[in-house]
Amino acid sequence: MTKVKDPLWDYDSDTIKDPAINEFIELWRYRDLLQLLIANRIKTRYKRSILGVVWTLLNPLLNTLVLTIAFSQIFRFNVPNYAIYILSGLLFWNFFSQSTNDAMDTLVWGSSLLKRIYVPRTIFAVAVVGNGLINYLLALIPLCLIMLFMHHPFSLALITLPLAILILAMFTLGMGLLVSTVAVFFVDFVYIFNVLLSVWFYLTPIIYPLSIIPSRFLPFIRLNPLLHLLELFHTLIYTAKMPTTTLWILTFFMALFTLIGGWLIFTRKVDEFAYRI
Amino acid sequence: MNKDTQPVIQLMDVGVRYRMPSEKIPTLKEYIIRALRGQITHQTFWALQNINVEVYPGEVFGIIGPNGAGKSTLLKVVARVLRPTKGRVRVRGKVAPLLELGAGFDFELTGRENIFLNGAILGFSKRDMEKRFDRIVEFAGLKDFIDAPLRTYSSGMVARLGFAVATDARPEILIVDEILSVGDTEFQTKSFERIQSFQAQGTTILLVTHDVNRVETMCQRAIFLSHGQVVAEGNATHVVDRYLGRIRQKEEQRLKENQLEKQEWRWGNRKIEITKVEFLDKEGQAKNIFHTGEYFALRMEYEAHEPIESPVFGMAIHHNDGTHITGPNTQFAGLDLGRVDGKGWVLYEVDRLPLLEGLYHVSVAVVDKNDLEVFDFHDHGFTIRVLNNTLEAKERYGYISLFGLWKHFTY
Repeated sequence: MTKVKDPLWDYDSDTIKDPAINEFIELWRYRDLLQLLIANRIKTRYKRSILGVVWTLLNPLLNTLVLTIAFSQIFRFNVPNYAIYILSGLLFWNFFSQSTNDAMDTLVWGSSLLKRIYVPRTIFAVAVVGNGLINYLLALIPLCLIMLFMHHPFSLALITLPLAILILAMFTLGMGLLVSTVAVFFVDFVYIFNVLLSVWFYLTPIIYPLSIIPSRFLPFIRLNPLLHLLELFHTLIYTAKMPTTTLWILTFFMALFTLIGGWLIFTRKVDEFAYRI
Repeated sequence: MNKDTQPVIQLMDVGVRYRMPSEKIPTLKEYIIRALRGQITHQTFWALQNINVEVYPGEVFGIIGPNGAGKSTLLKVVARVLRPTKGRVRVRGKVAPLLELGAGFDFELTGRENIFLNGAILGFSKRDMEKRFDRIVEFAGLKDFIDAPLRTYSSGMVARLGFAVATDARPEILIVDEILSVGDTEFQTKSFERIQSFQAQGTTILLVTHDVNRVETMCQRAIFLSHGQVVAEGNATHVVDRYLGRIRQKEEQRLKENQLEKQEWRWGNRKIEITKVEFLDKEGQAKNIFHTGEYFALRMEYEAHEPIESPVFGMAIHHNDGTHITGPNTQFAGLDLGRVDGKGWVLYEVDRLPLLEGLYHVSVAVVDKNDLEVFDFHDHGFTIRVLNNTLEAKERYGYISLFGLWKHFTY
């Protein structure tokens, strides 16, 4: 039975459409809050450090330096321009791991609020991913500097990088919503997820080339969705080529399904959040 | 249909069911272990059931009930934080809740940034908040601190800021949840005045409180919730009476049990024993709770184990804070009991009880006529509670009502 919304009432519990779609509309209504949440996080992050923004630019550079020395000298991977390989992978990883982690944390901050007043519940996860995007874009600056310094070619295919970033953001938001849902029900999941993340890090060819994996393990390793997403970034930035259409389609649908799945589960389960006192 | 005669809040057969594991399972590890063993059972309980409430524009509507009765759940349903499991909720207009201290603030940010953050949480646009900003700072009285981080604020300052943001625009529906004890006295007055002016301008107010006097004075209508169900609804005074009636029954029980335990406060040589003490109403019913202005009587039964010449019976009333209110006895009143032997009783009657609201301790004693020998003394042995009766008690504050009359003359 569908009920028609009576314009007299601003809120009617019976005419709420599907919670997943409704959440979308509400998120748009609260776009000012979304914007503020993103801006505030950036402010608090840079306010506390003296070097401010410079620090975010410096941090990946120093990290890359350490890892480059460690892995190219000690493990002697046969990867030319290893610094670019590793930095493009690290930025990718930082975006994913920080955003999913922060999504859980902010939901804890927001939970006292969510029990008292209505705001769209996905807003915290969306803000966190928006934040991760900004940090990622900022970190592209040192990457460009290194590429220039090492005379690494800039491919024309790089104009499709925003699309790759969008796919990554979709996947990350989906995962962020999924893990937040679990974290609300189980407090220890925050720690478990951190362990999972470090395992995941080593299962993804970020610091090593895929070529070192023995071929009999490859089918299993390739089940890792992050591997394909990373391949997208490696191809664009490191190999300086256009990724294959198959890779684009594969990663896009993977990200889309993760996002839809995360969104559906989160919005369905979210009513139970408020019950948990 | 006329818009003003339509309710602004309408709850139709609303039920909220909480589903919770019968034991709290806080960790995923444990959950998986138990799930594998099939040990997870869920308990459901109805935090609200069959709630039918309509609130009309401009009303001040009270919600009272003991802790855990479902008051907060009801507010959450109205504020659309919770969707009802059953039934339907409809709300007309913007609902502004007064948030609990510090909810929706980021303590790393400045007061200025937090005003915008809090405003956005309440659903106001940035442009809206820019217009309101100065007024909010002014009302909160935080002009000098507005660019300092919130973590440097005192809790009173945070509360003031929260109140100022939430109430800057007159909301159509305001939820007030035991919040008026915010900040110092001056700010309390200010915030109370603001709420009253909203009310005068037509804001509908939902008031949740334990302070029944406030419900009686502020609300037109109210509901009394208990175990998630409506026990009484309608006229606020009537609902408050029902609520107090419930509390009274429980307290009556408690006061009675209390008196039996107080044997150690008794001394005397027991030549005459006070065997029973009762407080009576006009119908001769024993009770422990009275209203100011009501008939009140103290009845002492005694048993004299030997003949005693003209014993003196007396009583004393102390306020719970220790103040001695009065100490009448038969001798002062000029009543000579003569020679007493065996059983009998003494009655002390008061037509209009002058005591004001509070808890009072009653001592009773029987002594010899020269005040040299104490036969039996129950020191602070009994307790009565006096409640405010809005019809009779035309005086407030302190211990007693003089039942005086005010008159006014002009030349």
